[in-house]
Amino acid sequence: MKDVAVLGVGMYRFGMYYDISNAEMARQAGMAALRDAGLSFRDVQAAYVGHIFAPVMAGVRVMKEFGLTGIPVQHVENASATGSAAFREACLQVANGTYDIVMVLGFDKMTTMIQQSTQGTSPENMEDAILPAAFFALWATRRMHERGMKVEHLAKISAKNWNNGALNPMSQRQSAEPTSVERVLKSRPVAWPLTTMMSCPMGDGAACAIVGRADLAKKLHPERPLVRVTASDLQSEKYSRGHLFMGPVVGPAQMTIDTSANVYNEAGVGPEDLDLVQVHDAFAIEELEYYELLGLCKRGEGEACVERGDFELGGRVAVSTDGGLIARGHPGGPTGLAQIWETTLQLRGEAGKRQVKDARIGLCHMMGGGSVCVIHILQKG
Amino acid sequence: MTTTQRPRVPIKPGYFTIPDDPQQPPKLLGTKCNDFSEHYFPRRAICARPECLSENTADVELGPRGTLYSYTFVHLPLFGSSNMEHAEGYGVGQVDLPEGPRVQLPLAGKQGEFKIGQTLEAELNTLREDGASDIVIVRFRPLEG
Repeated sequence: MKDVAVLGVGMYRFGMYYDISNAEMARQAGMAALRDAGLSFRDVQAAYVGHIFAPVMAGVRVMKEFGLTGIPVQHVENASATGSAAFREACLQVANGTYDIVMVLGFDKMTTMIQQSTQGTSPENMEDAILPAAFFALWATRRMHERGMKVEHLAKISAKNWNNGALNPMSQRQSAEPTSVERVLKSRPVAWPLTTMMSCPMGDGAACAIVGRADLAKKLHPERPLVRVTASDLQSEKYSRGHLFMGPVVGPAQMTIDTSANVYNEAGVGPEDLDLVQVHDAFAIEELEYYELLGLCKRGEGEACVERGDFELGGRVAVSTDGGLIARGHPGGPTGLAQIWETTLQLRGEAGKRQVKDARIGLCHMMGGGSVCVIHILQKG
Repeated sequence: MTTTQRPRVPIKPGYFTIPDDPQQPPKLLGTKCNDFSEHYFPRRAICARPECLSENTADVELGPRGTLYSYTFVHLPLFGSSNMEHAEGYGVGQVDLPEGPRVQLPLAGKQGEFKIGQTLEAELNTLREDGASDIVIVRFRPLEG
């Protein structure tokens, strides 16, 4: 992907906000991104909006918060990967030359969903028993059987993400005390062997990225390092024997392997070149699997890497630097854009206490139920 | 000896059989591709293999036995169940059927009774009552030994 840059980013911190609307969170995140870019909404030529839990029309309605300029507004939905998929559409349109400056906005309120679900919807689907936590717990049990993974490995990954989150002012989970492996292990079981602290929280929030031509980024902020989007890919499931059709949350491992191969090829970089990585760590077992599927280590070496601390801040390649879905949170629509927010700040050297030294190349990976895999590579300069 | 059997109604039609004889295990309702001999659960009209995509498919019954590929125990009540058995939680497993498909369904039993590689058999399990009928789901139970 040529000459596409992230011009600005903004977030509304993820959390449980029963009294704050989607419109309020989205406006604040969007205005923060415009200010960060040094742009006015008058400069925005198109918008891609993503949400999962809000009703139909919510995106185009929320966009009115910024002013009614008549620009094309398009909804994008791809489950957890909604924000990432919307970001991809914006990047493709800028790369194609359709637009010069595009807003990508994601928002969601899971608190509304919690309030609605207590009103008693009756389950009529065969899939209702297979909660996301159960689905990913099945990965964990199988990995214990095949590779000797221990529950302590999952706890160590979770503790890392909680501690990274404590360094991120936009993280939903902020622990005053450092999080230990023991504390994670003592948290409430959800689906064996996964516990609450190994799982992402429910939450609300909004995030925004302004995507545009790379030369505009240089003009708007000549003093600031340029953050280019050098590769983007999205894939859906490919059939092989043993494929799960009912109840699965995300598809086969091969989907992440294939999608990452495509972005490495497009960007002309390899996993060994990455300085930081964000993944779909809705549950700690996922992060462990993605280390290997993204090529950050060889198949079967994930546990040894976790024991060595390879993926901690200051390690070989820092993963989930902002706390990941486990700590920073995962409201749905904005999650993928929070990854772009974090990677952009890191590549500019503006990530504060969690700054990865000399960060030049970052990868953002999301899975969306159904399912799809979306990966972007962002590079400095 | 005769037992009075309440009528059993599937939570959703089209996924499993309800045998007339309550001693018999249910079977899963699947599809076979006549061109590629690939089997699927649940039913579908078109073969999913990218090199096939044939519409020459037929309805088949799968199971009732399979092999446990992975398992978990969910520490939450089963959604929509008023069966006390599900109040403390329930098992979930991925089960490989001999015909090829891997299915993901609730398991009967407790955490310590599950073992990867063990043989299981499908059974019907009451989720709740609906008037004179029982609303049932299909799940797998580990066989002895």
